[in-house]
Amino acid sequence: MSTLRARLDAMRPSQAGPTRTADPRPPDHFPSRGNYRSYLMFGLGSSLMLLVSANLLRVVKSLGDGERAFDALLESFAHPLYLGFHLLAFVWLSWVALHFFALFPKTQPFRIGPFKRPPDALLVTGLRALFLLSTLLVTALLLGVL
Amino acid sequence: MAEQKKTLVVTRFDPDRDQTPTTREYEIPVEADWKVLDALNYIKAQVDPTLSHRWSCRMAVCGSCGMNVNGEPKLTCKQPLSAYGERVEVAPLANFPVIRDLVVEMDGFMERLKQVKPWIIEAKEEAKREGTNRQSHAELMDFKQFSMCINCMLCYAACPVVANEPDYLGPAALALGHRYNQDTRDHGGVERNQILRDDGGVFSCSYANECSEVCPKGVDPAGAIQQAKLNNVLDWAKRFVVPRRKPRAPTAAAQSDEPGRG
Repeated sequence: MSTLRARLDAMRPSQAGPTRTADPRPPDHFPSRGNYRSYLMFGLGSSLMLLVSANLLRVVKSLGDGERAFDALLESFAHPLYLGFHLLAFVWLSWVALHFFALFPKTQPFRIGPFKRPPDALLVTGLRALFLLSTLLVTALLLGVL
Repeated sequence: MAEQKKTLVVTRFDPDRDQTPTTREYEIPVEADWKVLDALNYIKAQVDPTLSHRWSCRMAVCGSCGMNVNGEPKLTCKQPLSAYGERVEVAPLANFPVIRDLVVEMDGFMERLKQVKPWIIEAKEEAKREGTNRQSHAELMDFKQFSMCINCMLCYAACPVVANEPDYLGPAALALGHRYNQDTRDHGGVERNQILRDDGGVFSCSYANECSEVCPKGVDPAGAIQQAKLNNVLDWAKRFVVPRRKPRAPTAAAQSDEPGRG
C-alpha cells in the first residue's frame, strides 16, 4: 500500500453525507508502477530542461559576443561535468521522446478531416524516425561533418 | 480434487467504531472458476455477515463492484481469483472517502459527472425542426468507444491527479463530455467546452495514462481527454480566425440541469 497521502478532500461531495467516512488514500502502487514512474520522471525532467535551455541561451549570447566567445564556450563544454550533464540530458530526452511517442497516436482524433487517422504503428514509427534523423543531423552539425 | 483455500485480506471500516480502516483475514475454500466477488459473497454469506460491499449484475455491466484487488483497481465480478496467489488483498477504491468496509462515497463522482452535461443537448428540438436525426456509421465510430463507460470509477482510483486536485472532474466525466461533443446529434459543444477547459478540466490531466490501463471496458479515457485538449485548443484558436456565431438561445431542457429526453 502506498505510504503517500491523497488530499483529504479528494472526491468528496459538495455536501457531507449522513455518515462519517474514512479518508481517501492514494493509488496503491503510486509512484512505483510503470505509468506513475514515467509521469513523475517527466515532471522531474522539467528541471533538466530548464538547465538545457539556460545553456542554449548561453550559446546564443556567445554567438552575439563574437567568434572568440563562442569558441571559448565550446571549449568549456569539454569539461567532464558538462559532458556528464549533456549525456544525462540526452538519455532523458530520448527516454521521454520514446515513451510519449508511444502515447501520441491516441491523442489524435479518429478522423482528420475526411481521412481516417493513420495506423498507430505508422505514426509511432514516423515520430521515432523523425527523432532519430534530427538527432543524427544535430550530431553531424556538432561534429562539423555538415 | 483437493479443496483449495485462499486467504482474503479485506479492509474493514465501521464509521461508528473505527477511527481508521483496518484489515481482517478470512481463510476460505474457493472454487477454480470463482471471481473475486464470489469469494466476497462467500464471506458475507458463510463467514461474516457484517461485511459490506457493493455488487449487482455479476457480468461487468453495472460497474458497482469496483475495488482495489492486490492494489489494482478491478471489477471484482470480472477478475478471476485464480489470477492471484494464496493471499488476496481487497480494499475499497483508492482516492474515494470510505463509507463502510469496501463501500466508497459515490456522490462526489456523480456531481462531477453531471457537471459535463452528459446528455444530448437540443436533439429533440432539432428533430422537430429538421426531421429525424440521422447519423452515419463513421460518425458513430467517432465516439462509440467513449460511450462504453459503465461508471465503475476504476479510472478515478488509478488517477494520480484525482488524488491531488480535488476540483479535477476526472477521467470518466471528461471522457463522457468528449463523447457528447463528438456526437453529431448534439449542439452543446460550445457550452460543454467551456466546462472542459475550465479549472479542473481537461488541462489538469497530466496524461499518466493509468486510467486507460485499468478501464475494464476499453474506453480509453486518457485518449478522450487528450483529444478533447486538442479540440479545445483548436476551438480557442478559431476565435481569432473565424467570427464566432452567436450561441443559440438555451432551450428549457438545456437550461435545467437535468437531461432532456431528446
